[in-house]
Amino acid sequence: MQQNEAYTRRTILQFIVLLIFGVIILRLASIQIFDSSYKNQAKGNVLRYEVQYAPRGEVIDRNGEYLVQSKECYDLMVIYREIGKQGFDTTRFCDVVGISREKLDRELRNARMNPRAPYMITNYLPKEVKLRFEEHHFPGFYTVYRTARQYPRKIGGNLLGYVGEVDKNDIERGEGEYKMRDYIGKSGVEAAYEPILRGKDGVKIMERDAHGAIKGSYMDGLYDTLPIPGKRITCTIDARLQAFAEELMKDKVGAVVAIEPSTGEILVMASSPTYDPDELVGRERGNNYMRMLGNKRQPLFNRAVKAKYPPGSTFKLVQGLIGLQEGVLTPSMAYPCHGGYHVGKISQKCHAHASPLDLRNAVAQSCNAYFCYVFRDIIENKKYENVKEGLEVWGDYVRSFGYGRKLDSDFLGEGPGTVPTRELYDKRYRGSWNSLTVLSLSIGQGELGCTPMQMANLAATVANRGYYYIPHIVKAIEGQDSIDRRFYEKQYTKVDAKHFEPIAEGMWRGVNVEGAGTSWRAYLPGWDVCGKTGTAQNPHGRDHSTFLSFAPKDNPKIAISVYVENGGFGATIALPIASLLEEFYLTDTITRPQLVEQVKNMKIYYPHYDNK
Amino acid sequence: MITNNRHNANQTSLFEGVDRIAILLYVLLVICGLISITSACYDETIEGGFFTFAHSHVKQALWACGALVIGIIILLLDSRYYHMYAYYAYALGVLLITGTIILPEALAPTINGAKAWYDVGPFNVQPVEFTKITVALAMARVMSNYSFSISNTHHLMRVGMIIFLPLAIIILQNDTGSGVVLCSFLFVLYREGLNKWICIPILIVATLFIFSFLFTPLFLLILLVVIFTLSNAMMIGNLRAHIIFLASVCGSALLLYGVSELLFTNALSGYTCMIIASLGGVIAAGIYAVRRNIPAMLLTIGIFIGSMVFVPTADKIFESVLKPHQKERILSFLGIVSDPSGVDYNVNQSKIAIGSGGIIGKGFLQGTQSKYFVPEKQTDFIFCTVGEEWGFIGSIIVLGLLCALILRLMKMGERSQEPFCRIYNYCVASILLFHAMVNVGMTIGLIPVMGIPLPFISYGGSSLVAFTILVFIAIRLDATPRKGLMTA
Repeated sequence: MQQNEAYTRRTILQFIVLLIFGVIILRLASIQIFDSSYKNQAKGNVLRYEVQYAPRGEVIDRNGEYLVQSKECYDLMVIYREIGKQGFDTTRFCDVVGISREKLDRELRNARMNPRAPYMITNYLPKEVKLRFEEHHFPGFYTVYRTARQYPRKIGGNLLGYVGEVDKNDIERGEGEYKMRDYIGKSGVEAAYEPILRGKDGVKIMERDAHGAIKGSYMDGLYDTLPIPGKRITCTIDARLQAFAEELMKDKVGAVVAIEPSTGEILVMASSPTYDPDELVGRERGNNYMRMLGNKRQPLFNRAVKAKYPPGSTFKLVQGLIGLQEGVLTPSMAYPCHGGYHVGKISQKCHAHASPLDLRNAVAQSCNAYFCYVFRDIIENKKYENVKEGLEVWGDYVRSFGYGRKLDSDFLGEGPGTVPTRELYDKRYRGSWNSLTVLSLSIGQGELGCTPMQMANLAATVANRGYYYIPHIVKAIEGQDSIDRRFYEKQYTKVDAKHFEPIAEGMWRGVNVEGAGTSWRAYLPGWDVCGKTGTAQNPHGRDHSTFLSFAPKDNPKIAISVYVENGGFGATIALPIASLLEEFYLTDTITRPQLVEQVKNMKIYYPHYDNK
Repeated sequence: MITNNRHNANQTSLFEGVDRIAILLYVLLVICGLISITSACYDETIEGGFFTFAHSHVKQALWACGALVIGIIILLLDSRYYHMYAYYAYALGVLLITGTIILPEALAPTINGAKAWYDVGPFNVQPVEFTKITVALAMARVMSNYSFSISNTHHLMRVGMIIFLPLAIIILQNDTGSGVVLCSFLFVLYREGLNKWICIPILIVATLFIFSFLFTPLFLLILLVVIFTLSNAMMIGNLRAHIIFLASVCGSALLLYGVSELLFTNALSGYTCMIIASLGGVIAAGIYAVRRNIPAMLLTIGIFIGSMVFVPTADKIFESVLKPHQKERILSFLGIVSDPSGVDYNVNQSKIAIGSGGIIGKGFLQGTQSKYFVPEKQTDFIFCTVGEEWGFIGSIIVLGLLCALILRLMKMGERSQEPFCRIYNYCVASILLFHAMVNVGMTIGLIPVMGIPLPFISYGGSSLVAFTILVFIAIRLDATPRKGLMTA
């Protein structure tokens, strides 16, 4: 090899060495001097963000009584690598905290997967346990303040809902609002008013020194934020009335909804069977929840806003109103009834009563034949091309009362119910059907499905003579002047106000004129109670018992709907429940204790639930 | 070249002719290492003060003292011994690494998946650190032979044997990272006159090996044929003939593909056609080379066949040779899998640690990132501590010292009249360069994580002693001839 060549190669190699070190130094300059992202990430490594959980807002009833309270409780956390090599006294630890050795071992194994991250060993530690825990020193373990729900009256399980840890879907839907281990309202009021009740978590930033020990607050707490507690919500519910309703509904399946007609405020919303809301709090929540899911009577199903019941005779009110508005009926018009309505093979039976009856008495006596005539007149009206179009017009009226659609209340998961459409029958009967085919609609049977809240809303609408306020559960929110605007707007039906008076009078007669109607047992002296019974046939055995009522007739204070599955005649069980609730709400007394006992002790046999 | 006037005959000290700059650089690097280890491992829970034996830095300081004694012994020995016993040392080195594979787990435990360690009482020794020295000595011995010619294919084969025998054993040990270090001897071969048109394709093949799973085998094969044909053309001239050769290989592959498509249904894939065509081309080129007696061309063909087997099957090698964590590291480095808290975690935390140091660093014992978040912070990722506590300035100082030592070793090699000394010094320089490049490169995300120590800085007795021996032999060899000249 030439000397020259050797010199060139040596130079090239020296150049390569310098080039390699040059590239490394350039890269170092870029990450150490020019790129600040690494410094920020380092800060994230050194700083410890401690979440300061905000206490959840409380819920009180319309009279200021607590429905939901927050009590302090603690999560027990561990940072595995900080436990230290020498370990700790596990027996004493289990003793103090009150968990089993197996659970501790299991949780520590999980914690070891990510030794630097805080890991929750157990939650819902009561304050006493937390204080006891702090007397001992267990390195690596610490407690975090949380709040747990507490229900002083143990009522309104489905109404108030429950709170649980967020799941994956919640985190996704929350778009960054939620992180693991946060609590979220899962149903009822807790879910509907989640953003208000939740408040805002704060953060405390702690700085660690080179040894990993907490040195103190970062920048003297400049970037710390205080937790903002959730706001208090005043519920429209009357706690005592709610409790009484739940008591009366015991051992029966069904729902009670009571509304203040002049505001749309829901006074009672009881779904039965119900559950003790305290059971869905704390460590046993999962087990209890699973047990309730397994209960064949479905206590977690909020029948008051989700069930689809045939309205039965209570729907005759709507039928009459539509007839009046359409001009096919006048209050004085009378139709005969001979044990029912018979056309060819089709017949609707009726109970024995005087005949013929005018509208007021037909409502009071709940005459089936009368409303068959009315319904046929409505949909066979010559104004419309045919029955199908007539049914569409009828459907529009019905929907204007809030049936067949969601009422748009503030309650999540509200069901729409069903109002059959022309398409439904066209499909079912391949286009060939007439007014007789759908005759059962005239007395609230057939394809009609309503929620108890929709029925209560009808009572409120008649009470208001033509309009209703959207039923709602929240009366006031702490720090806010008003609730949502839509709850202050009158919702008119498609029936003029003047047509409501005869119907209301019919309801009044049913209760107050002896021998004139089916609802006389609802009579409360001096309160002008108006009522309408309903007895709905259904495929699950005995008829459903239902009762719609409002009182007093003028200036009504309460509108109520009671629905008891398989309760028999409307007057048998639904009526006394409604009557007792009205009395209690209006007079604050119970004058018929024997009736209360009788209703409470009435057990209904539900073969289709219990033998499933 | 340094003048020799400081070496006068009257001076008979032990360090006669010893390169003081190299010694100084070595000492400074060891001190930097001790400081960094102190920071990385300082555990205030150990009782008994700063100088208790339980501290890692105290252990390492004792190792450094031991290394210094060994260094002095090396300087005392006659330099001719290194030349004389080079092959024996090589044999011993190969035996040592073979031993780790053969010996039972009790004597040679598996650490981090590599069966490359001896359990020697209170500590573990990785013999490959010492094998590097013996390979360097054997290289120097073979290549300094008077009759040795780098352009002679047979001689080159012999050098190849010296490198690949231990390389194969190291791969069997499952310690690929250390094995790759031996490949850095290409640096030495280039200095000794290896044709650059052999060096360049080897470098390209090495790169392709890492990236091979990004491409299809067909594309890789075409790339290889093009690279080797062109490099052969550059080596022996006649570019036109080579281009015609290239065109005919590709043309015949296309023809073969077309014919097979017409005659059979899906008989031959494009890749198979290309293999057949290039094998034909290789045979033709081989016959031509033998007929015309062009050994350089035979060498190219040999390397081509080697890499043809190597690169298209790199997928399989990748699957079988590399350990899962290495695979993941390489995949993560190439951005094929990205998972900051998983595979990327080491490199990401390492970059955060270094980046957080800024220009002047956080100061001694003030680092938090490298101490708590970087794994292997005192061995493979020791540079994180340097970067975090001493910042950009400290990093430049450490890198500058390493760079200066490498350049100094090269210079010492160049000024020597003995080829043995020159080749050995270059070997040492290339080993140090490779270690520094890969180690620092991986901490800042330039190079996949391989797990080799940073010379003189990383914690570990055997590594420090081995690097000391490596460097002190170079210093001894450098000191000898001039001393010899003076006394002769």
